[in-house]
Amino acid sequence: MSFRDKIGKELLFFDGGMGTLLQERGLKAGEVPETWNMLHPEVIEQINREYLLAGCNVVSANTFGVNRFKCKDLAYSVDELVSAGVRIAKSAMETVRIKEGNAQQRMYCALDIGSLGKLLKPLGEISFGEAYDAFKEVVLAGDLAGADLVLIETVSDPYEIKAAVLAAKENSKLPIVVTMIFDESGKLLTGGDVESVTAMLEGLGVDAIGFNCGLGPEQMKRLLPQLTACCSLPIVINPNAGLPVVVNGQTMFTVEPDAFAKSIRTLVEMGASAVGGCCGTTPEHIRKVVEVCGDLKITPVTDKNRTVVSSYNHAVCFTKKPLIIGERINPTGKPKLKQALRDNNMEYIYKEGLTQEENGAHILDVNVGLPEIDEPVLMREAVTGIQAIIDLPLQIDTSDPVAMEEGLRYYNGKPMLNSVNGKKESMESVFPIAKKYGAVVVCLCLDEDGIPETVEGRLKVAQKIVDTAASYGIAKKNLVMDALVLTISTGQDNARVTLETLYKIRYEMGIHTVLGVSNISFGLPDRVKINTAFFTMAMNNGLSAGIVNPSSEPMMAAYYSFNALIGEDEQCMQYIEECARQNDKEKPQAGVERKKEAESGALSLHDAIVKGLSESAYQATIRLLDEKTDSLSIINEMLIPALDVVGKGFEEKKMFLPQLLMSADAAKASFEAIKETLSKQGKNSESKGKIVIATVKGDIHDIGKNIVKTLLENYGFEMIDLGKDVAPELILKTVQENDIKLVGLSALMTTTVVYMEETIQLLRENHAGCKVMVGGAVLTQEYADMIGADFYSKDAMGSVRYANGLHEKGEL
Amino acid sequence: MEKRMEMNHSEIGIAVNQKEIYRYLGYGANEPDSAVRMLVDEVLSELLAVIMPKHIYKFYECRTDDESVFMEHMQINSRNLSGNLSQCDTVVLLAATLGLEADKLLQRYEVVNMAKASIVQACAAACIEAYCNLIQENIRFEVQKKRGVPLFIRPRFSPGYGDLPLETQKDIFRELDCTKRIGLTLTQNLLMYPTKSVTAFIGLTQNPENCHIEKCKRCGKLDCAFRS
Repeated sequence: MSFRDKIGKELLFFDGGMGTLLQERGLKAGEVPETWNMLHPEVIEQINREYLLAGCNVVSANTFGVNRFKCKDLAYSVDELVSAGVRIAKSAMETVRIKEGNAQQRMYCALDIGSLGKLLKPLGEISFGEAYDAFKEVVLAGDLAGADLVLIETVSDPYEIKAAVLAAKENSKLPIVVTMIFDESGKLLTGGDVESVTAMLEGLGVDAIGFNCGLGPEQMKRLLPQLTACCSLPIVINPNAGLPVVVNGQTMFTVEPDAFAKSIRTLVEMGASAVGGCCGTTPEHIRKVVEVCGDLKITPVTDKNRTVVSSYNHAVCFTKKPLIIGERINPTGKPKLKQALRDNNMEYIYKEGLTQEENGAHILDVNVGLPEIDEPVLMREAVTGIQAIIDLPLQIDTSDPVAMEEGLRYYNGKPMLNSVNGKKESMESVFPIAKKYGAVVVCLCLDEDGIPETVEGRLKVAQKIVDTAASYGIAKKNLVMDALVLTISTGQDNARVTLETLYKIRYEMGIHTVLGVSNISFGLPDRVKINTAFFTMAMNNGLSAGIVNPSSEPMMAAYYSFNALIGEDEQCMQYIEECARQNDKEKPQAGVERKKEAESGALSLHDAIVKGLSESAYQATIRLLDEKTDSLSIINEMLIPALDVVGKGFEEKKMFLPQLLMSADAAKASFEAIKETLSKQGKNSESKGKIVIATVKGDIHDIGKNIVKTLLENYGFEMIDLGKDVAPELILKTVQENDIKLVGLSALMTTTVVYMEETIQLLRENHAGCKVMVGGAVLTQEYADMIGADFYSKDAMGSVRYANGLHEKGEL
Repeated sequence: MEKRMEMNHSEIGIAVNQKEIYRYLGYGANEPDSAVRMLVDEVLSELLAVIMPKHIYKFYECRTDDESVFMEHMQINSRNLSGNLSQCDTVVLLAATLGLEADKLLQRYEVVNMAKASIVQACAAACIEAYCNLIQENIRFEVQKKRGVPLFIRPRFSPGYGDLPLETQKDIFRELDCTKRIGLTLTQNLLMYPTKSVTAFIGLTQNPENCHIEKCKRCGKLDCAFRS
């Protein structure tokens, strides 16, 4: 019987710790335990055997720390160490089976996979793809050597776990168990909670989930209810032998086998399907566990039937209380967003996301589809970029299957997917990827015959979608039905049909629902009046989530009022808070700015920029444009001179960095106003030239670079920002492709200045014909000269002066 | 010996040196105007509300000669570190981090408000320093209580200071199991993620000389923009 047939059906035992046992047998501090697979295989086999003889069913191969990052400096390859580890464990199993005559004992060899020890991008060093490749290498070797399952353990970054799970699924057919290291409050070190990673892992289709390491059995007892409440899979619990304590200068785990086994028994009674140990546990601990728990029957694993999506740090569950899905990141009917997408202006998209989050959205729809762009590439960039700064779960919204898969694959969490419909072709292309990545799918009640006019017609399509989804292994809980909204301006009955369909889907079919609410008023005046009324009616008829604009105050008022009215807002607190927030917002400007404005009346653009007041700068620019002032003269006669005042103050140490940047932000707001007006007139603002800017390879500090970028943008330069840790080759390529005349390089560490030098050399060797300016904490004029830079900028203003100088000479 | 202790955010908030934040923002001895002071207060509370500070440390017996420091099974070749620890019989290896949320907040503000981003940067730098100061003071107090003699702490010494090579990071990460225990990771170039993190050697001594926490006065770089 395979592991997959047994887990969740009968109680299984995992083995215990390896590290301490190896130290007792002579492993030195600093020595890599997995090298013993080659140096002392007999010791490893003996430990594996002792655990099996203690009665464990799952023995972990000694492969936990093997991966290409950790094995870089070793004499052995990943392949050698993994296959040796698996072979040793298999041979221990064989010995126990034959020599010891334990033919009845179920034994499985787990390919043990730990963390790569690297943080993934967008916040960290390695890409998702690099992590995937590293895990793939381990999985291939382990599978080939005969492992029976993959155990991904002691991990605490959901994104890294996702890479490992995909690597295991796509490169083997082995069952997958994931156990994670939580702190006592139920948080991963990366901030994720039990509910959110459970949602993601169930979606990815692993075979069992659980806890290991970090905590002892008693602490895990307190944490386990969080998992049993939301988990529909078998649960594996492998605690340490207590919390670490210090005895004679040594870290020890002091819970003795008897006490350990007693606690483990309770954990099984609470719902664990498989148990074992981690740090500090020994074969004796496991022997006791087997002895004490041997007679226990496990709690049957039940489907918790939750419709849930998650981000990297929290889950959002569909319940009685409706949810808000922010609709703003969608270019349909939004010329500014369209332009931003064409310009690859991600900042605009991020700002749309942040505004919606601030205004109360629970999930963000992300649609970046435009005919003339590479949608898969942009989808991936948008999803990872948004997730770097926004915590909300995302709804990947596209009709392009390739973009869909890119979005789902690089998403950190359990995503929502918009959408599938009842057409055969749609279901055939969407369901397989939705299943693979565990997305909650929005299903549109239409098919080859169009949108059914009647309630019955739509329900029939809904049922067809449910049945087809089931044939792909997608449960009802992972579907959310869109009953479809047609405007009442073309059909008097349209709202009624939608609402009745909604009601029946939600309460008779038992499926959660979603609607693009505002379609109801298309073609009518004062649309928001109809929209809010319809939104309330829809919620009252079973709408689980409205796709709306969270920045629309009336829509959100309808939402909060509804929650208060149905008793889903305790003491109406959320409603009251929202009212207070709206009142605050209606005052013209916030905080400091309001005070200053009150003191001085409406500020001139010059003063607003010098004082660093963004809103005032924006308003002043609008006033100037309304007075028909030419945009070029606004820039050249007001904006730039104001920036110069601040820049000069900064250089003379009369003004300081925050003020310089506040002014820069104010100038940016002014530019926004100008750009809006120009684009209405079908014009573009002029650029003084393109500059490439980057933090060099190896260096991860980029705030200095970003400050310089902001200031140069203020002065009208078009910036191509390559980010941080940028390879010299990419800089050269960008320079050549865009015919760049000036490159700005930043480095903070002496150790990374070498890459700055390398980059400059590469540019020179290839006659890129561009000037290079450099800056960063460790640089000096002398250093800059030594590495062959054209200009050393001691602060952000220096780079502005230099770029302006080149521009005036016509060299940029 | 290995210890962990939890510290709540308000403690760090109280321990943060406001002047230090202004100094990181380039104010030198100058005082920011009220608008900037308000912004700093606002950003600091926001930062303190989201960070998940974690740390881990271990004690080592140590001795030094001119060239090297000997810490139980480790030998670290660095004249400067050896000088720093010459009076010490015990050294603490410390790793501390504010966690990923600090990096996230910084990225967020780099999109919407560069001035605030620069302030997040300065506040986070001051917070991690304050956090380390709190930890080391707790350590000092604890050991002093046990030994019954007054103890002092040498200025924290981190890989990359003076002649102590960045490669030492690898030893610290191995000794403290930083990735597993506190979620700290090391890049190929030996820098740390999350970025608002510190690893350091902290010497304990009965000799009070030169044991102030502030490091500026000892540094030879007199024209540094951040010198206090």
